[in-house]
Amino acid sequence: MSREAIADSSFLIDWSRYSRREVLTRLFNVVHVPESVLREIQLPPAIDWVAEKLAEGSFTLFTETPDIEAKARELMALSRSKPLKAIDYPEAVCLAAGLRFGYVVLSENGGAYFAPRVLGLGVVVWRAFETIVEAWRRGLLQDLVDELRRYEQEAVHLFRRRDWEHVWSLVGMR
Amino acid sequence: MEEVVEAFIEARELRRRYANWRFIQQLPPKLKAALIYYIETGDIYVASRIAGMSVAEFNELRIKARVPSVT
Repeated sequence: MSREAIADSSFLIDWSRYSRREVLTRLFNVVHVPESVLREIQLPPAIDWVAEKLAEGSFTLFTETPDIEAKARELMALSRSKPLKAIDYPEAVCLAAGLRFGYVVLSENGGAYFAPRVLGLGVVVWRAFETIVEAWRRGLLQDLVDELRRYEQEAVHLFRRRDWEHVWSLVGMR
Repeated sequence: MEEVVEAFIEARELRRRYANWRFIQQLPPKLKAALIYYIETGDIYVASRIAGMSVAEFNELRIKARVPSVT
């Protein structure tokens, strides 16, 4: 797995409300934040946390280049040809950068999350769910169920039935 | 593909079920339309544009309306 990630606003805004949010910087050497994403993060706690991480160097600003923008527009058009939710520009930039540089894409956008399967893209997309599960696998978080419940409460987020079924299978295996 | 469609349907049902509809119905038309769009699609970026807000500002409105984020 890549030690670099790129995050969109849907992920960062939710994740910044999680009291164990620092685990993200232990999973990845660097998290890239596109300029188009940064423009959407205008309020605490997200803006304070992202600014702090940028200052520390664990996050870095990702400036879209013409080739990334072109790929992003291509992905947006491709997603519109499918019967599912279209991908918006900020998520498309993250997917384009993920494809180009091998970054893990962090997103809570359904179109982006399912893009590898629906559009056949060779990119890894994680939601908070996969991020927390990976942190737990590496021993960075102790109780997986407690952490997922904590995230649901703090970010006003819900995980789907299939996610919980996956959790029960993981916890049962331990 | 079936799993993907199932996921979208379940996510929409959860957003509909947990939303504070009384709060939403009292909002000005633009904000109400934006929240209903979000509940139906889960697309926070376009919803924020309908509301005339940044994604972060719209997320605060989502939380006030008790609409869960589900992916």
